[in-house]
Amino acid sequence: MTSTSWAIDLTHVEKVYKGKVHALRGIEMRVHAGEVFGLLGPNGAGKSTLVKILMTVISATRADGTMLGRPIGDKHTLSRVGYLPEHHRFPEYLTGGQVLDFFGALSGVPRADCKRRSAELLDLVGMTAWRNHRVKGYSKGMRQRIGIAQALMSDPDLVILDEPTDGVDPVGRRDIRSMVTRLRERGKTVFLNSHLLSELEMVCDRVAILVQGRVASQGTVDDLTRFRQFYEIEVVPTASGAAADLLLSCLPGPAAASLAPVGGGRTATRGMLDASTWVELDGATLRVGTQDPASVAPLIDRVRQSGLTLRALRPVRPSLEDLFMEAVTDPTTGRAKLPGADSAEARP
Amino acid sequence: MTQTLALLLDAYRELSAKKLFWMVLMLSGLVVGVFAMLGITPEGVQLAAWNIGDFGGFVNSDNLPPAMFYKALFSGLGIKFWLTWIASILALISTASLIPDFIAGGAIELSLSKPISRLRLFLTKYFSGLLFVALQVTIFSAASFLVIGLRGGEWLPGVFLAIPVVVIFFSYLYSFCALVGLITRSTIAALLLTLLFWVFLFCLNITDQTLIQGRELNAMRSEAIAKQIERMEKSADDQLRRDLVTEKVSMGEPREQAEAEARDATFTSEQRDQTNPKIGQARQDLTDTRENAPAWATAAKAARIAKTFFPKTTETTDLLERVLVEDMNLDAAEEEPDNDAPSWMRLSRADQQRLAQRIEAELRRRSVWWILGTSLGFEALILGFASWVFVRRDF
Repeated sequence: MTSTSWAIDLTHVEKVYKGKVHALRGIEMRVHAGEVFGLLGPNGAGKSTLVKILMTVISATRADGTMLGRPIGDKHTLSRVGYLPEHHRFPEYLTGGQVLDFFGALSGVPRADCKRRSAELLDLVGMTAWRNHRVKGYSKGMRQRIGIAQALMSDPDLVILDEPTDGVDPVGRRDIRSMVTRLRERGKTVFLNSHLLSELEMVCDRVAILVQGRVASQGTVDDLTRFRQFYEIEVVPTASGAAADLLLSCLPGPAAASLAPVGGGRTATRGMLDASTWVELDGATLRVGTQDPASVAPLIDRVRQSGLTLRALRPVRPSLEDLFMEAVTDPTTGRAKLPGADSAEARP
Repeated sequence: MTQTLALLLDAYRELSAKKLFWMVLMLSGLVVGVFAMLGITPEGVQLAAWNIGDFGGFVNSDNLPPAMFYKALFSGLGIKFWLTWIASILALISTASLIPDFIAGGAIELSLSKPISRLRLFLTKYFSGLLFVALQVTIFSAASFLVIGLRGGEWLPGVFLAIPVVVIFFSYLYSFCALVGLITRSTIAALLLTLLFWVFLFCLNITDQTLIQGRELNAMRSEAIAKQIERMEKSADDQLRRDLVTEKVSMGEPREQAEAEARDATFTSEQRDQTNPKIGQARQDLTDTRENAPAWATAAKAARIAKTFFPKTTETTDLLERVLVEDMNLDAAEEEPDNDAPSWMRLSRADQQRLAQRIEAELRRRSVWWILGTSLGFEALILGFASWVFVRRDF
């Protein structure tokens, strides 16, 4: 893939605040042109810092990479980028229409085009009736809608939306999702930064999970979840409560011996079925970390032979939230990783 | 250009959304209204139909033509009092929040993410902050132009010089306010520190004028004592000649011959001092006064040098007076000098006028380039530093 087919191509982005706080530790990330890309991460992971570097709001300690084919920090590129910051604040003395005209003009959109675009976009975000009302009287959701409209004023090739559904009601969220989809259909690249994982899962082609200033994983949701797929075997609990023991007896000796508590407040135990397949026993449920149904078949036979009644057998693909939680959880403590960085030097 | 116009239009919208903007405009209208109601007649000053008085026989149309009266009102009261004090304080209150609001979280990201350089963005925002004063002073000057023309009978386009003069004056303070607002992100800190800075400039100016006054008073005192000594010596010589004539006549010399000899006689300082002991004291005073002169000159020069590095607010607004009322009060009556040398404690009216003339002459010797050049240099320095901070800061 050539560099021109990337809307954003970051090879090494680093930000150290005041020489002490490592907010970003060498970000490597690529966003295809024409896709919807989601950036996930817990608070303090560096998401906003990364977006602000892309938008020249803050300067990077080091920024190797391009945005729309131009180096990061190039001001001219910004005329092709629409941006909705998190917690944005529009001048309260302006009306919704004036907000669009003002930020459109700042983006270099000619006056005549501004008028036309603002009318179209107000209609798109359902704010036409509020065009001549001052922002001061707008609700949070209305401000968000106007914010999205201003990000689209210059008809940008790349749209960066930071928490676009923040404060928006369910109907508005659906509208925003459908707007994002339409932008993709028109060949625009959309970069979404959001905490609402389920919404990202619905619209994003690819995602990246940022943890402690590094990209923990990135790819399509399908790619990221496929290799984490497992089978879940659920049996009917016995009256004596011995289902767990019977399930344990169904496992080969070495696998049963390898079981150990998973921690993190869960009662399950986990071990290895063979060199590459994990197995987890959780009450009357047995989970087997494989995508191959054939390798689950012998286990099912043993369960039946043990006299247990099979209630369900299903392949399970983890959700984006599961992936996210896995990425942000410290495997040794089972707790969420501290924001910012993974070492003491990260915090002054 | 589209971006610059958008920023200027936004600044106008921001200012016009402030109640204070309209309040100051109304008050300006009131001040001009009072100008229009004031009139000058041979009997004195009139407010509408009421005669206020002639202030000791000095302020009437015989001494002060109506056009000059209105020019003096416009310059002395309208500009120096209203626009450069009251309206400027109100303007600072209105505009101190512009930069802190502009860089507030959630607002600055939107502006910085647009394809406009940070330097241009900051400078345009700064200059748009001067719009408040520019609009106010333009309206005030236009109204005053009409009042002076209609009531004073002289159409004076020079009145519009008030626009650049007052805007430049305000820009000295606003540049400082913008820098403090940028660094502290606080409107209150920007406003209070700017007012404190203004007080400092005021004190520096008062110090400068006081030292000029001291130097000139010392020079006047020196000149007066020298003249006083000359008069006393002449008087002593006359006395000594009379005594000489009396002595020679008593010795039998004819009076005409004695008087002729006395006319050609010369006397020593000691003889004069014996005749009038005050001459010696006066000579001592003259020596002391002349010895003080270098100290006054050095102090006044030091104050002037110190002022060179700071904005000259008073002198900037005084430039307008130079143009509008150039000849006023500069031909003060040459009264008979007092016999006593002027002192700090006691100045005759003639001395006061002469002192005022000398100070005025000294201040007018200061070139426009020195006043505006060094002040704008200071402003450029402050703005340069503020721009550097703005361009480099992470928001």
